[in-house]
Amino acid sequence: MKKTGPIPHVLTLLVLAILFALPAGILVLVGLAPGWRFPDLWPKRFSFTGIEFLITHRDQILTALASSFFYSLATVFVTLVMCLTPAAAFARQRFAGKRLLEALLLTPALVPPMTFAMGLHVVFIRLSLADTVAGVILILALFTYPYMFRALVAGFQTLGEQYRTCAKNLGAGPVAIFWQVELPLLVPAMIAGGSVVFLVAFSEYFLVFLMGGGTVPSFTGFLMPLLASSNRSLAAILTLIFLLLPILLFFVIDGSLMRTYRKKGMA
Amino acid sequence: MFWAPSRTAILILKLSPLILPFVVLFCGGVFLTVCQSLGIFTPLPHTGGILAAYGVILSDPSFLGSFGFSLGVALVSAAASVAAGTFLAYRVWQLPKALAGAALVYKIPLILPHIAVAFVVLIFWSRSGILSSLAWHLGLIQSMPDFPNVLYSGWGLGMILAYTLKGTPFAMLLILALLVRFDVRQIQTAAMLGASKRRIFFSIVLPRLAPAMHTSFIILFLYSFGAFDIPYILSESRPGMLSLNVYNLYFKHDLARRPEAMAILTLMLFFAVVFIIAYSRTVTRLENGVRKL
Repeated sequence: MKKTGPIPHVLTLLVLAILFALPAGILVLVGLAPGWRFPDLWPKRFSFTGIEFLITHRDQILTALASSFFYSLATVFVTLVMCLTPAAAFARQRFAGKRLLEALLLTPALVPPMTFAMGLHVVFIRLSLADTVAGVILILALFTYPYMFRALVAGFQTLGEQYRTCAKNLGAGPVAIFWQVELPLLVPAMIAGGSVVFLVAFSEYFLVFLMGGGTVPSFTGFLMPLLASSNRSLAAILTLIFLLLPILLFFVIDGSLMRTYRKKGMA
Repeated sequence: MFWAPSRTAILILKLSPLILPFVVLFCGGVFLTVCQSLGIFTPLPHTGGILAAYGVILSDPSFLGSFGFSLGVALVSAAASVAAGTFLAYRVWQLPKALAGAALVYKIPLILPHIAVAFVVLIFWSRSGILSSLAWHLGLIQSMPDFPNVLYSGWGLGMILAYTLKGTPFAMLLILALLVRFDVRQIQTAAMLGASKRRIFFSIVLPRLAPAMHTSFIILFLYSFGAFDIPYILSESRPGMLSLNVYNLYFKHDLARRPEAMAILTLMLFFAVVFIIAYSRTVTRLENGVRKL
């Protein structure tokens, strides 16, 4: 193939930066310059009023953030429990109606979530699940489990049968095989599925609003009224927190995972 | 004979953590939506016939307007996302190793929630926004009102921009996952045989990427068709997205109109299911007609 110079590659990166990184940069500027107005291309004056507001309202913000963080992690956990054994069965066993069942099981992530969530709302109210964290986690898990399911099925498929056979031949029982052999090897797939589930749950506004009814604090719920307000600076700062928290979380998980693997001599 | 039923039983047991919530919560939720659209299980006793709500909805011209509008916004944004995502993913895949790390910035909108992406569109495209300021500095406009009214044009452009900004990285992610396993030698062979860059992209790369493109199109299209978060921030008054109509009927009107909200949801669900089936059938038929390498 004909070698091309570096210019097209730099161009690619430039386009990516303008499309995807520039918005984040602008958010930083908006956050630090509440008085930034048309037609200035660069803010005339920077101030920390946005950050000051953040500090004075820190209790409320931290509560919302902690609540979002908690129900999103719980959703990851619930989807994991829901999907582990079915994913193993789907990856390894043949049975009648498997393709149809798989297609059916993936629909909750495809059809508009409103269509089943609003129907369930009445029942959740009757069962006193509405306006509770449990209700929020349930509805989020129902909407996000297909991502976990897909990731785990793929994980089981790449895992193959060899490890299992090997452990069996060495005398391990099914429980030991599952906990000591397969589960550790599935961690990358769990993290892949779990990060999607976490992100979708963490950034969802409507389902949390519907089932949480305002009594379950959420970061999206806290942010929403501010986005439409005239105080753009504050909304920008909070949006940046939204960006930083998942990135931070992934770095922590990635780091600890690498350390564990190294300790066990797997990497 | 002794083993056969118990194997099935074990299989059912293994599948049950997923089947049970699916049947009880998902199918149950859909069932309740349909029931309430027919006037059953509604908070208020339903007066009128069993299909009364559908009669009201379907005879209302604004429903058809909203339906067409939602369809248009979803189609344009999903198509734009897949097109841009495919092209950018291909370019990112071609990047030399040293530069590939920098390309990870594409994941930023994936992490940002939909409402935050809508906010970004607001900051950039409103008449007092960044692009308007830029146009003023370039001498393209003399004052704020000279800047085109992108967000309130009546065409849903703001929502399309937001969905495309959020959807492009998503399509890139799915397509890059396929490209990682793509054999470079196919491209090298084609180039040696004299194929142009355009020819290589359209005749060799694109057909390999088709599965990921179809998947991302279905997901993005149906999401933008029925989601609430972005329209809540960027919607214009009329015609509105269907999800907003449902929200207004459900939360802002009296309980007697609950069946109407549910009837719209039922029609949306019906459309989504028909779309998924029709789309995957068409793709399968098209792919059967294509010669495989």
